[in-house]
Amino acid sequence: MKQEHFVQRHQPEWIAFEHWLDERGESARKARAERRNWHGLSDADMPSRYRRLCQQLALARRRGYSPVVTDRLQALMHRGHGLLYRTPLPHWQRAAHFLLAGFPRLVRAERGCMLASFALFWIPIAVIFAAIQWQPELSSSLFEPAQLMQFERMYDPADPARKLGRDNGTDVAMFGHYVWNNVSIAFRTFASGLVLGVGSIVVLITNGVMIGGVAGHLQAVGHGDPFWRFVAAHSAPELTAIVIAGGAGLRLGLALIAPGQRRRADALVDAGRRGALLCAGVLAMLVFAAFVEAFWSSIAWMPAWIKYSVGGALWALTAAWLLLGGRNLPAEDAGA
Amino acid sequence: MLDTYREVVTPEGVALHLPAAGPMPRALAWAIDFIVRAAVMMAMGMFLGVFGRGGTGFYAVAMFLVYWFYPVAFEAMWNGRTPGKRALGLRVIAGNGAPVGWLAAFTRNLLRVVDMLPLAYATGLVSSLVDPWGRRLGDMVAGTLVVHDARAREPQPAAVDTALAPSVALRPYEQAALVAFAERAPRLSEARQAELADLAEPLTGARGSTAVTRLYRMANWLLGRR
Repeated sequence: MKQEHFVQRHQPEWIAFEHWLDERGESARKARAERRNWHGLSDADMPSRYRRLCQQLALARRRGYSPVVTDRLQALMHRGHGLLYRTPLPHWQRAAHFLLAGFPRLVRAERGCMLASFALFWIPIAVIFAAIQWQPELSSSLFEPAQLMQFERMYDPADPARKLGRDNGTDVAMFGHYVWNNVSIAFRTFASGLVLGVGSIVVLITNGVMIGGVAGHLQAVGHGDPFWRFVAAHSAPELTAIVIAGGAGLRLGLALIAPGQRRRADALVDAGRRGALLCAGVLAMLVFAAFVEAFWSSIAWMPAWIKYSVGGALWALTAAWLLLGGRNLPAEDAGA
Repeated sequence: MLDTYREVVTPEGVALHLPAAGPMPRALAWAIDFIVRAAVMMAMGMFLGVFGRGGTGFYAVAMFLVYWFYPVAFEAMWNGRTPGKRALGLRVIAGNGAPVGWLAAFTRNLLRVVDMLPLAYATGLVSSLVDPWGRRLGDMVAGTLVVHDARAREPQPAAVDTALAPSVALRPYEQAALVAFAERAPRLSEARQAELADLAEPLTGARGSTAVTRLYRMANWLLGRR
């Protein structure tokens, strides 16, 4: 069949299909609202029309028709393909469900990487903290003297009017700063895991050394009380979130090193999908942590026992959430 | 074909040809997006400066959103296009040819961190030069692809409306070349049309504008316009 005859025979079908895509394909909500006024190609017929179009495109290519026809058919087919095979929209109404159940399950599913990340983060903290208690001069080899002065000023027990843990800045300003700073660190911790996991390991150890150094120094010079009162509450979600982001990064690096019985590309895509879900949870944890850090942790007049009880409660809650959340759900709900 | 097409075989068993985009237009699109982001942040800075020190908190949150979520939101909600990509006619799609989803958009933009290493997107540049479909590392992990948007072709009316059977039987590739000439030549200058038509003198037996007209008429015959 000559090209012109082919076009003439099928042109009305293509126009009807294109019209349907223009009018009905853009938004499902609009399509539902206007279904009574629609008199073109019916929605139920669209998949079969689409398959017909695919067949016509294959035929056109086989017969060597010119790009005027094949490009047009391919453009129509691509639009139809996008509609039929697009990623399902996320269920925003199930976001809470994901946070309460899906996210802890995902963390537990990667428990090996999470434990490794936990160790890479907490062992430096403990070692550096203990080392500075033993040899207080060690802190000056970790930080510049000006930095040490600043830390001491931020947690000065002789200055009760000062807000805990900050030089200056209002609560809101510090909230914004914590969100920007902490979430960026967490995202980078995850993403740099792609470099064979090395990036995540470096970030975890460096942060562990820094945090252990600051805590150890303040404890050693006798500024421990305001420091512990400051960090008691927000440390639970914040430090756990960094550990989880690191674990997701390690998972990504591991997918590259040891993909198992899959192609590296497939293992990476899977690890990336899980990592992005974990990062979404980490984002929520860190925004909550920033809120606590800016509006609660800095209150200096609060008696220590309240601070420590709230801190203990948050640590217990975080642990319970991650260890128990979503335990009784059927497996297919985990992905959210 | 000498081109960076990615063939995606759909479940219907027909291949979609997706023209993958190389690093140069993508870098330009990124530059445009960078300017847009910088402009947004400057406007936010002027607006929030009014609120004094409390404003810096909102500014930091806005910076966080613009830095991490500007490309994610645009790609997921605007059919794979940020303003820069739209200006350059690019689009992010999933590897199977479908529109990109939220999670894949989030993944590919998180991994910019690695593509930026050690400076100025050097890793991403190397990766997109090595990969046959010009993907950077973030695209590989997210399973996405940046393609050129298909340009809509205006259906051209035939240049002449009579048909002429070729004097000899033409092979399929010769027929394809003739039809391609008839479809594309009307966009060329008269002199260039004649120059090209002169190459087919053994077929047309003429030169200059007569040859051009004869080629158009033969193409009409091949396409079945009579």
